Amino acid sequence: MQKQRAYIILILALVAAAIAILTTIPPQLGLDLRGGAQLTIQVNPTQEQPDVKPTIEDVEAVQRVLENRINEFGVSETTVQTIGEDKILIQLPGESQPEEAERRLKGTAKLEFKQQKQGTEGEFRAESQVRQQRELELAILNQGELKSENQAKIAAAQASLQQSIQAIANLFESAGLTGTNLTDARPQPDATGNRWEVAINFDDAGGKRFAELTKNLAGTGRSIGIFLDDELISSPVVGPEFAGTGITGGRAVITGNFDLEGANDLAIQIKGGSLPFPVAVVENRTVGATLGQDSIRRSIIAGSVGLVLVLIFMVLYYRLPGVIADVALVVYGLLTMACYALVGVTLTLPGIAGFILSIGMAVDANVLIFERTREELRAGKTLYRSVESGFFRAFSSILDSNVTTAIACLALLWLGSGLVKGFAITLLIGVGVSMFTAITCSRTLMLLVVLSNPKVRQKPELFCPNLNIQ
Amino acid sequence: MKFSVTKKQGLWWVISGTAMVASIATMIFSWTSLNAPIRPGLDFVGGTRIQIARDCSVAGNCDQPIDPAEVREVLEAQGLGSGTIQLLGDDQQILSVRTENLNGDRRSELLSSISEVIGTFDRQTAQIDSVGPTIGEELFVSGILALLVAFFGIIVYLSIRFQFDYALFAIAALFHDVLVTAGVFSLLGLTIGVEADSLFLVALLTIVGFSVNDTVVIYDRIRENLAANPEKSINEVVDSAVNQTLGRSINTTLTTLLPLLGIFFFGGQTLKFFALALIVGFTLGAYSSIFVASTLLAWWRNRTGRKSIISDLPASE
Repeated sequence: MQKQRAYIILILALVAAAIAILTTIPPQLGLDLRGGAQLTIQVNPTQEQPDVKPTIEDVEAVQRVLENRINEFGVSETTVQTIGEDKILIQLPGESQPEEAERRLKGTAKLEFKQQKQGTEGEFRAESQVRQQRELELAILNQGELKSENQAKIAAAQASLQQSIQAIANLFESAGLTGTNLTDARPQPDATGNRWEVAINFDDAGGKRFAELTKNLAGTGRSIGIFLDDELISSPVVGPEFAGTGITGGRAVITGNFDLEGANDLAIQIKGGSLPFPVAVVENRTVGATLGQDSIRRSIIAGSVGLVLVLIFMVLYYRLPGVIADVALVVYGLLTMACYALVGVTLTLPGIAGFILSIGMAVDANVLIFERTREELRAGKTLYRSVESGFFRAFSSILDSNVTTAIACLALLWLGSGLVKGFAITLLIGVGVSMFTAITCSRTLMLLVVLSNPKVRQKPELFCPNLNIQ
Repeated sequence: MKFSVTKKQGLWWVISGTAMVASIATMIFSWTSLNAPIRPGLDFVGGTRIQIARDCSVAGNCDQPIDPAEVREVLEAQGLGSGTIQLLGDDQQILSVRTENLNGDRRSELLSSISEVIGTFDRQTAQIDSVGPTIGEELFVSGILALLVAFFGIIVYLSIRFQFDYALFAIAALFHDVLVTAGVFSLLGLTIGVEADSLFLVALLTIVGFSVNDTVVIYDRIRENLAANPEKSINEVVDSAVNQTLGRSINTTLTTLLPLLGIFFFGGQTLKFFALALIVGFTLGAYSSIFVASTLLAWWRNRTGRKSIISDLPASE
């Protein structure tokens, strides 16, 4: 009895925690449910060297360029991640017209060295501060926990940041020097050894233009503007000692307040700007927002109808234990959903199917236990002993059947693609939680009802109809 | 009420054997006409599918059903004559077009020309799937690999928990379930054009994970009864194990099928055939566990004489 009380407290605590989790962490819905575009981009070898596969660093460089371009779309909660060896997955929630996105992603990144216009020094300083301020605001907003509530704010912050970026771009004029003139960019420690800088090499034509550009700007206090996709990423100033000839030799360093990581990032962005590898969109899945909502609604209705029928069936067939099983199933549903929220499972349509199937597994555990309990009752055991040995004997079946399902899930998680993984993870979590609720929840409730209620003990037919006790 | 599965084991084997042979034959026929054992969907062969619904809030837009001949003309004008056109929805206001793999620019072009012919449509209800041919191949290979790994993992686990012959017959029953489900979908592909997408592979894997449960529960009971009654014949032990677990097998299959039937009849279009594959597979799984896996084990143990006492008397009660 003591033990049962402890279990009940544990279960109640878990249910309370589950409800708390579910109300604070909103479920993450996949793009197929809330609408949006998902693009898979493959990084291909160059035409010149078709046998040289892009390395991980190359793919990362491309990913950074794509990230920058994606941020310009003004879509919130975008994700860009590498998958496999040479692919990049991009998710654009709410985007129902991916053609424009596809076109802009595939175009090569535009690296440009520009010259600051005369007489814009003050304006540039002021606007740079505005930009920093807005970037900071956006970073704070993005860190907020409840992203969905902040969406409007994020969108507004992004819009004002874009304005600021545009305003800065207007302060510069072309110098005819672009990423195509670049042969290399790499991080290196600066003269003091405490900081890092980025060394760049130009080809011949680029070297000449760069010399001219630096000659024009040397000692004026105006900056060279290094732009990636029309966004200023660095604005070095040229020292007065270069006023005579400019920086010759086709080499330059970009200094700034860089640590190794920052310098490396910049080098990758500059190199990626000339996009050393062509990319192709190999997969595009786009679901309109209202279509997604329609599938949610229909699948939830379908699942609920099936679930209610299961609950009714359990009570009709198994009587009192059926009622207990139904309570256990509701607990199961809450705990599983809470686990999804905690682990950060993104619910997709196959994911919902996995959840519904895992309910089947949870019911099976209860069915196995009750069938066993009935057998024990028919064999003439008392109610209490029947319940206990019913659980005990059904356990090996429950364990083996759940483990085999888990093995199939793990195979899917390991080898499957995105859609398949979503299904496997929901089913796997469901299998784990169903083991727990069948063993603790159903068992504790049953024993509690039997032990604490003498009237129930005198009526074993509540557990098994047409019971003839020999 | 007690029935003996082992008495009529020949009948069960003939039924399952026939179903398997028929499935293989259907898949061979499908191979000759479609170049694949099951009609492959976009996910595996690549291509573009665009599904759009007319915007019925625009006055007069939805008065007539969409005319597929007009859409066909658009496709042919753009050199996409091999594409297929399908009308969906109760009043034929939803258009689904499937073509070779198109990039963003060509899709925009196609969409605007279609819009000129059929009227405006609502981008919020549109669905676009565009899959390159290499992706499809990767999906297929990883799916088949996952299936083999799952088979292997289950054999190892059951060999440890039970014995190797149990594991082998459990896998034989599983193979039967997967093969016949594939056969049914091969037939559906040939007759009403149902395609296998990556969800179908998921379904096959789920059938593997779920159907083995039924077999495990019965084997668990056989193992327990063998330990408790070493003097009984294996046929008797198997028969009583099947009878003892029959209620559970039927109830569990029923309760699992209920939500699936719900999805099949009322759920979204995407999951309809996924649910059907599971319904077919789970039903087969229950059948093969009760009638095939159990009798195969009894037959094998009789043949190899692993049971010390073999009774010649039929099981009676």
